[in-house]
Amino acid sequence: MPAGGGWAAMFPDEVWEHVFSFLAADGDRNAVSLVCRGWYHIERRSRRRIFVGNCYAIAPTVAVRRFPNVRVVSIKGKPHFADFNLVPSDWGGHADAWVAAMAEGWPLLEELHLKRMVVTDECLELLARSFKNFRVLALSFCEGVSTAGLAAIAANCRNLRELDLQETVVEENCVHWLSHFPESSTSLVNLSIASLEEDVNIAVLEHLVSRCTNLKTLKLNYAVPLDRLVNLLCRAPQLANLGTGRFTAEYRPELFSKLESAFASCKSMKSLSGICEAVPEYLPAIYPICDGLTSLNLCDAPVNGASLTKLVSRCKNLQRLWVMDVIEDDGLAAVASSCKLLQELRVFPCDPYGADPVSLTEHGLVTVSTGCPMLQSVLYFCRQMTNDALFAVARSSPNLTCFRLCIIDPHTPDYVTLEPLDAGFSAIVESCKDLRRLSVSGLLTNNVFRSIGASADCLEMLSIAFAGDSDAGLHYILSGCKSLRKLEIRDCPFGDKALLANAAKLETMRSLWMSSCFVSLGACRLLAQKMPLLNVEVMDEKKRGGSWDSQPDDCLVEKLYVYRTVAGQRSDTPPCVWTV
Amino acid sequence: MMAGGGSSSGSLSTVSKGPPLPPEAEELEEDAVEIDYVGLSEESSSCYPGGKGDDGETEEKEEEDEELELGLSLGAKKAGGGASRGGAPWREYCRILTAEDFPSLVSRASPLSSSSSVSSSSAMLGGGGGGGGGGAGARKVAVSGARGAVGSTNPPPSQMVVGWPPIRAYRMNSLVNQSKDNTSSNAGVITAHKKTNESSNNHPKEVIARELEKKRGLAGKSLFVKVNMDGDPIGRKIDLNAHSSYETLAVALEAMFHKSTGGLGASRHVSRTSKLLDGSSKFTLTYEDKDGDWMLVGDVPWGMFLSTVKRLRIMRTSDSSGLEPRLHSSKSGDRLRNVA
Repeated sequence: MPAGGGWAAMFPDEVWEHVFSFLAADGDRNAVSLVCRGWYHIERRSRRRIFVGNCYAIAPTVAVRRFPNVRVVSIKGKPHFADFNLVPSDWGGHADAWVAAMAEGWPLLEELHLKRMVVTDECLELLARSFKNFRVLALSFCEGVSTAGLAAIAANCRNLRELDLQETVVEENCVHWLSHFPESSTSLVNLSIASLEEDVNIAVLEHLVSRCTNLKTLKLNYAVPLDRLVNLLCRAPQLANLGTGRFTAEYRPELFSKLESAFASCKSMKSLSGICEAVPEYLPAIYPICDGLTSLNLCDAPVNGASLTKLVSRCKNLQRLWVMDVIEDDGLAAVASSCKLLQELRVFPCDPYGADPVSLTEHGLVTVSTGCPMLQSVLYFCRQMTNDALFAVARSSPNLTCFRLCIIDPHTPDYVTLEPLDAGFSAIVESCKDLRRLSVSGLLTNNVFRSIGASADCLEMLSIAFAGDSDAGLHYILSGCKSLRKLEIRDCPFGDKALLANAAKLETMRSLWMSSCFVSLGACRLLAQKMPLLNVEVMDEKKRGGSWDSQPDDCLVEKLYVYRTVAGQRSDTPPCVWTV
Repeated sequence: MMAGGGSSSGSLSTVSKGPPLPPEAEELEEDAVEIDYVGLSEESSSCYPGGKGDDGETEEKEEEDEELELGLSLGAKKAGGGASRGGAPWREYCRILTAEDFPSLVSRASPLSSSSSVSSSSAMLGGGGGGGGGGAGARKVAVSGARGAVGSTNPPPSQMVVGWPPIRAYRMNSLVNQSKDNTSSNAGVITAHKKTNESSNNHPKEVIARELEKKRGLAGKSLFVKVNMDGDPIGRKIDLNAHSSYETLAVALEAMFHKSTGGLGASRHVSRTSKLLDGSSKFTLTYEDKDGDWMLVGDVPWGMFLSTVKRLRIMRTSDSSGLEPRLHSSKSGDRLRNVA
């Protein structure tokens, strides 16, 4: 090693940068930055993409300072359980501080991906003003913006390629925001506005679609009717990913045949979603593209199982299928025999509280698992399950990376043997060595957690609800599960002992969520004291502006969110949240 | 770990979150056994009446009242106090729990967690009849033990648990809009506000009518609809469930739009009868119903209005040319044909 300069001096910086450019994974780049001072600096200056899994884990200004040349940034805010209204709505996750810091430090920023964050119109306006090369805005599961903000983006981002509002709630007050895309704007590749409730000016949309000849992804909202879909498809036959608006209309043969030929002209269609409120009469219009489809999302199409089955059976190349449980076991059997390339299956309940049970059982899952050798990811809502079914899945799909089973009634046992489902889930984690994400449900004792802790070496995210007998369950998880990053728990009898005994583990994880468990405030105080690099947030929506300090140690904490951070306590906690 | 919460074989087990339940709750439990579990076998043990909330919290009296209700109705009260279905749910419980409860529950060392939080997420606040049960925060509600046999009937008890099953509330509202033979009256009620925390129910028409009636007196469910006023580009949202009559609604609307336009009459007095309704103002209040027609507000009974309204529009009286003034309108309501 040369004296004085260390490794870095062996070659000019540019050489190292070039070498590092082959390292795609953040983990690898992080490792590189630890080798020596020289590499640290070369790496940080050449980093182009960063991913911030928890927006409060690092202060925006610090991130911007460390990586001055970032072009693509991805940030996540609220905990996952915010999707199910478990997180107070004013909890936080504000994007303002980030956007402000980025506007200062990253003038060449090109892409911003935000998930579960609160974004304001001011943010969007600042964005539109500050980044001249801005190309991609992806807001998923966000809230706080209005169409006025979207108008600002449309008007000012000259080279906007992607505007993706997946599942983002948008306040609609500026009816003509779409018109703010200037005539000269032809760069759009992705326009995804499915979450908008209100009408958009379809004539303007048609014109926009016509002039954006590179448009590959178009996801319309419910307000776009079927007949206008025809026009749009005719203007954009090059589309690869389509989300339709509402797929319902009175049956008219000429509309049907126009729709069918519009689809037929889309030779590149790979993915289809939307199909809101589909009526069976119009589904066959989709048949022309079925053969080429790799992804099909029918979650908004509560059509009868038979029609769905007919449609899905034609999709021989399907890799991803999201569907509602109205497809029933028979439909899944058809999937199993037709879609041999299937990798991801999600089955959602059409009517979770309904009185009419749908004939979707554990058999559907087993059939798909057995019939689709490439199955890797499963999300399955059902009402009944057996250990045998889970054994079968474990046997047939050892390559599962994601297994999320949600049995709708909490504490449901194996309906045949009436035993807990411990054995079944244990089989899954023992057989699926690459399992990275797992959600358990049904009647479960601590035994399942013993298995998970011991066997699930690759598990990164675990969701537990209404399960376990005692603290030992949590202890098994936290003392095992080598790769665990995110743990979310609700309504389980887990408490202080396991938490405190495994405090150090929490620093190796991104975050822990526990709600309606048996964690006391005293334990939280202790935890916060022991682990300065963790933020221990307790939440109670009853408490608005009340003093947490005076609460006794034995007071139970309703909601707990613990995450590692180098930014210290955050300054934007609302009254119902207290950082202990 | 739980203290004093072990399940005894055969009787209802209580899970306490900390110190043993106060006597009141235990009594309630007893009552619950007698009243609600008539006909249940000895083995049934899986229903946990509402336990106390966090220890050391204030609002004890309120919680006791809640518990009384919870005990008797077996936690039929929904998350955030939303459309409670009154007596029906606990009857269903009786059905669910007979003979379906499995011995394995009884033999378990520690009882199941019963503390499903029924916190009203603050998504519900800010409007609606948020008060009472809804606004007070977390309540522990009974979650009935799982059903055993395949043939057991729904509805599942999961509907009283916040955020369960784990589906996006956004999605649930849209599902109810669309699902199968969902009645349009249902759609009118439930589609209105996407952000609502409420679990959506798929009920037949008769139940909807009953629910609507109950809604008036109950804390909970918001029914936000958009309101636009001619000449004002900013739309607003108003919670119809916060009102019990056209008068209060109109007054609220006047107050809402007063600042922005002043066109509704500059008086700061909250008039008892709004000018909007009697045809004397420059503006007229109209609404779009579930069929897409624009109607004059005020012609149908309030409850029926709630079940069909999709959104409101305050239009210039001069524009409502196809419209008969309310005083002369027929009972069935006028339909505006030429409204843009």
